[in-house]
Amino acid sequence: MNSISPAMALARQDQFGRRIAARLDAGADELPHDITERLRAARVQALARRQVGLQAAQTVSASAGQATLTGDEHVSLWRRLASVLPLLVLAAGLVTIHVIQNERRASEVAEVDAAILTDELPPAAYADPGFVQFLKSDR
Amino acid sequence: MATERELSDFLKSVEKRAFKRSVYHVRDEEAALDIVQESMMKLAEHYGDKPPAELPMLFQRILSNCTLDWFRRQKTRNALFSNMSDFESSSDDGDFDLLETYTALENSQQSESAEDATRRAQVLQEIEAQIQNLPTRQREAFLMRYWEDMDVAETAAAMGCSEGSVKTHCSRAVQALSKALKAKGLQP
Repeated sequence: MNSISPAMALARQDQFGRRIAARLDAGADELPHDITERLRAARVQALARRQVGLQAAQTVSASAGQATLTGDEHVSLWRRLASVLPLLVLAAGLVTIHVIQNERRASEVAEVDAAILTDELPPAAYADPGFVQFLKSDR
Repeated sequence: MATERELSDFLKSVEKRAFKRSVYHVRDEEAALDIVQESMMKLAEHYGDKPPAELPMLFQRILSNCTLDWFRRQKTRNALFSNMSDFESSSDDGDFDLLETYTALENSQQSESAEDATRRAQVLQEIEAQIQNLPTRQREAFLMRYWEDMDVAETAAAMGCSEGSVKTHCSRAVQALSKALKAKGLQP
């Protein structure tokens, strides 16, 4: 029964929103004096900060321009080398770890082998046909 | 690039609304002043060289971010304690209204205008209270869309959401405000 088109609903919504906004505007215009003064002071401070920001931006762009104009290649080369250095150190570290691990594993295996070889052979082993076969094939 | 004059005019045109909006969000005038000042400074320092047309959108984003930062700081600061100002009722001024009405009735010469002024103040107070009660995103969308007079696309960009979300937030905000004001017998 209450059928209004979406466009009309939107128009009504906008109208309502704007009426509220007008009320809020009136309220904002009646802010206490101390608040408006503090807002003004904040604005002045912000504008002063703008100068600092602009000067900083100019300094950065000027120094960047100078660096490209003078083309100090030594500095850039050293910087590039310095940036690659951590990678080199990392790679060297990884290789060292790999070598140490390999050696440790090899020495562990060697120790076990040595222990087996130097250990006394139990008498029962001589009766084992597999062992006899092993001794023969080793020749 | 905006000149100093243009930037100053822009800030002057938005500062009061920005302050009120921050008050609706954080419910603390001192904090709202800090937020507006921080936003102005960030805009001036980092975006002072932008064209004047870009300033409104940038400022809205900065203001929203500064408000969020404030809430984050509050959360860490008051991790265990509730902010007592959150519980303050902003609509407990019944006595004041009665007194105003009484004075207005006493003074027959000015009774009409004083009554109007009281009524106007009452409506504004109620609107502000209801806006404060809106969910954050709805409030933000509604105020940007209608008070800052931004279109749907601009509001969506400033809020970092889709245009559909902005429309939904605005529609819900209008419904909530309309219902609340009607319930109190008030018209905007």
